[in-house]
Amino acid sequence: MILVSLVLLIVPFVFSRSMVSLINEMLIMALAGCALNLMLGYGGMVSFGPAGLYAVGAYATAILLTRYGAPFIVAVLAAPVVAAIVGAIVGWFCVRRSAVYFALLTLAFAQIIWTIIFEWYDFTNGDNGIVSIPIPEVLYVGSNIYYFSLAIVAVCIFVLWRIVNSPFGATLQAIRENPMRTEFIAVPVRRYQLAAFVISSFFLGIAGSLFCVFAGSVFPDYAHWVKSTDMLVVCLLGGIYNFAGPIVGSGVYILISKVISKNTTYWMFFLGIIIVFLVLYMRNGMVGFAAEKIFRFRNKLGAGNGEGKS
Amino acid sequence: MIFETQHLTKKFGGLTATSDVSLQIEKGELVSIIGPNGAGKTTLFNLLTGHIKPDEGKVYFQGREITGLPPHAISRMGIGRSFQRLNIFPRLTTFENVQVAVFSAQGKSHQLFTSAKKMVRKETETILESVGLLGKKDTKGGLLAHGDQKRLELGIALSVHPSLLLLDEPTQGMSPQETVETTVLIQKLVKERGLTLIFVEHDMSVVFGISDNIRVLHQGKVIFSGKPEEVRRNEEVQRIYLGEENK
Amino acid sequence: MTIEAFIGQALSGISVGMVLFLIAAGLSIIFGTLKVLNLAHGTIYMVGGFLCYILTSKLAHIPGAFWWALLFAPIAVALIGGVIEVLLLRRIYSQEMLYQYILTFALILILGDTCKFFFGVGYQTVSVPWPVNGNIALWGLSFPTYNLFLIGCGIVVFLGLSALMRYTSLGSIVRAVTHNRETANALGINVPRVYTGVFMLGSYLAGLAGTLMPPMSVVALGSDMAVIIECFIIVVIGGLGSLPGAFLGAIILGLLNAFGIYIIPKLALAFPFMLMIVILIIRPWGLLGKPE
Repeated sequence: MILVSLVLLIVPFVFSRSMVSLINEMLIMALAGCALNLMLGYGGMVSFGPAGLYAVGAYATAILLTRYGAPFIVAVLAAPVVAAIVGAIVGWFCVRRSAVYFALLTLAFAQIIWTIIFEWYDFTNGDNGIVSIPIPEVLYVGSNIYYFSLAIVAVCIFVLWRIVNSPFGATLQAIRENPMRTEFIAVPVRRYQLAAFVISSFFLGIAGSLFCVFAGSVFPDYAHWVKSTDMLVVCLLGGIYNFAGPIVGSGVYILISKVISKNTTYWMFFLGIIIVFLVLYMRNGMVGFAAEKIFRFRNKLGAGNGEGKS
Repeated sequence: MIFETQHLTKKFGGLTATSDVSLQIEKGELVSIIGPNGAGKTTLFNLLTGHIKPDEGKVYFQGREITGLPPHAISRMGIGRSFQRLNIFPRLTTFENVQVAVFSAQGKSHQLFTSAKKMVRKETETILESVGLLGKKDTKGGLLAHGDQKRLELGIALSVHPSLLLLDEPTQGMSPQETVETTVLIQKLVKERGLTLIFVEHDMSVVFGISDNIRVLHQGKVIFSGKPEEVRRNEEVQRIYLGEENK
Repeated sequence: MTIEAFIGQALSGISVGMVLFLIAAGLSIIFGTLKVLNLAHGTIYMVGGFLCYILTSKLAHIPGAFWWALLFAPIAVALIGGVIEVLLLRRIYSQEMLYQYILTFALILILGDTCKFFFGVGYQTVSVPWPVNGNIALWGLSFPTYNLFLIGCGIVVFLGLSALMRYTSLGSIVRAVTHNRETANALGINVPRVYTGVFMLGSYLAGLAGTLMPPMSVVALGSDMAVIIECFIIVVIGGLGSLPGAFLGAIILGLLNAFGIYIIPKLALAFPFMLMIVILIIRPWGLLGKPE
C-alpha cells in the first residue's frame, strides 16, 4: 500500500510526460471501476449504464465552467452531487427489476442520457462536444494536474474501501449472495440497492469530472454503452470480488489498449482474446488469481512447517 | 394469542394453493404443519411471511394486522424464518453470515464508514455457539456440510431476535443422527428463548417428537387440528397422509 | 405529410424493421433456449454483411451473384456460430450472467477486428439485385421493390419459424429444452446438441439479415453496435424469448424510427429507449411474452 503510494507520488519525476498522462488516465479509470464495482462485485447488480452517470459528472463540470463561469471548485464539487441525483432517479426505477432486466434498464437509461447530450445542442453542444474548457492555469504547471487527480482518486478510493468494509458493505454482499434471505433478516433490500446505486453514481460522477478536467473537453461518447463495457471489462480483468481488482484492471486495460495499439491496429482482437482467456481460466480476475495462489502457497508452507514439527 | 390467520386464500391461475386457512397460535406453542406433497405448506409459509400476498384473508401478529406488509417489515416485527431450499450466503464466512443478521437486528446495517470487522463479535459468536458452529466460523458458508448449512440458516433466523420462528423442513436432507441432534437443538433454543414455533416437516419422528399441536393440511385446507396423539388416532388423517407415507 | 409520403415512410420503416426482426428473432430464440444474452449477435449480423459484400463483388461476373450470396453467406455465418457455441459458450452456461456478457462482449472485439483485418475499414456497398430493383406501382403510388421484398422475407421467415416451432418434432424438442432443461435431459434429449443447433439457427437468422441489409444500406465496421441496441429494444418490447413478440416489436420499432422524427425531432432517438424503459417497468416480460 505504502509502496504503491510512494511509486505514484514519484511518477512525474521518473516517467515521460505522455506516460504520466497515461497513468493519470489509469487513476481515473480505476476510480470509475471501483465505483462500478460497488454495485457489480459487492452488490451483484450488473449495470450496463455506468458511463451514463460518468458522463453526467463530466458534463456537469464542463457546463458549469463554460456556460455559467462557475468557480472551478464549485464545478468539480457539483459533479458528484448532480450524478448522485440522476443516479437516484434512474436507480429508483432500476432496482425494481433484477438480473437481465436490471441490466437492460440501466442500458436504456444510459442511452437516454447519451441521447440528451447528443441532441440538446443549446445546452450540451451536441455531438461537437464541449472543448477548450477553462481549467485553472495552475493545474497545467508542472505535473499539478496529475497530483490533483491522484489526491482526489486516493481519497475517493479510500472512502470506497471504508464503505465496502462497513456493515453496509457486508449487508450489500449478503444481498448479492441471496436477496430473498436478506429481506427476511429485516433488511429492506431495494432501499439498500438504491443506496449502492446512488453511492456508485456519486463516485462515477467524480471520475467523470476528473476526466473532464484532465482532458479539457467532453463528448457525448462518454455516455455511450461501449464506454460502459470498458468499465465492466476493467472490473473483470482485475477481478470483481477483490477491492483492488478494478484498480489493477484499469492499469492492465490502459496498458493493453495504448501499448498494443501502438504496434498494431488490431489491439481489440488481442484484448478480446485476453478476456476470453480470463473468463474461461481465471474467472476471479488477475487479483483473484494471485490471491488464491498466495493463499495456497501459504497453506503449503503452513503444512510443511507442521510436518517438520511432528 | 400471538399469531392468527383468518380465511387465508391464495390462487395461482386456476389452482387453489391455500383455501380458507384460519390458524390460531398461542405464545410459546410448538406447532407443526403436516400434509402430503403439494398440500400448500410452503405457499402458506410464504403467505405468513409476506413473500406472497394473499387473495383473501388476513394475518395478525401480536394483535396487529400484517397482511400485505413486505417481508423485511414482517421480519422486523419479530418473525424469523428458514427455507426449505438452502438459503444462506454461500460466499460469506459462517461468521459473516450471522454477523449481517446481527447488524440488521441492532439497526447497524446502514452504517457506511465504520469498520465491520470487529463489530458485534460477541453477539455473533454467541449465536454461532448456540447452533454449534463456532468452530467453523471462518469457513465459507457454501463449503459447509449440508447439516451445518441447515443449522447456519437456523442461526441466521435467530439473529434477528424473533418471537415467532417459522421453519420450513429444518431437518430436510439430514442423516438420522443429525436429525436427532437438530431436533434436540431446536427444542432447546425454543425453550431457552421462549419462542413460538411453527414448522413444516416430513419426518414424522420430528413432528411427533416436539410438537405441542399439529395442523394437517390437505389440498390447501386445514382438515384437522389437534394434539399429536389425536392426530395419530384420527382415521381421515391416517388415510390421506400417514397411509400414503407407509405405502 | 402527403398520404404518399406517409405510406412510403411507413413501408421503409417496416422494411428496416423486418431486417431487424430477423436479427432480433435470432437473439430472442437464443436467449429463450440458452438463457444467454448474446451481445455479439449484432457482430454476427455484421459478419453476414461483409460476407454478402465479398461474395457479390468476387462473384460479380456470375449472374445472380447476390442470390448465391443470400444462399451461402447465412450458412457460413451459422457455421461460425456453431464453432463459437461449441468452443466458447458451452463452457459458461453454468456461470453467472456477468461472465456470459463479458465473454460475448469479447466476441464483439474479436469478430470486429477480424472483419477489419479481412475487409478493411471503408464503407462497402452492394447494389440492389435484379429482379427486386426499381420501383413498383401500388394503388397509384410508387414504392422501391426491394423494401417490399424485405417485408415479404420477414413475413415468410416469421411464418416459417412459427411453423417450425409449433408443428415439427424439432420444434417440440427445442420447446422442451427451453421449458425445462433437466426434464428434457431426462427424456433422453441431447441438450448440448440442441443448444448448438439453436445457436446456429439464431446465427443463421443474423447472417440472413446481414446479407439482406447491404443493398439498402452500407456495410461498415461499427454497424453491429447500433444493431444490437435496436435488437435489445425489440426483444424487450415484444418479450425476451418470444418469437411473435420480436415480430411485433420490430414493426413497432420500425415505425417509431420512421415517424419519431416527425413527432418531436429532438426526441426521435430517445423514443425507443423510453418505450423500452416503460415496458421494463410495467411489463418486464414484454407485450407478447409470458410472466415467469
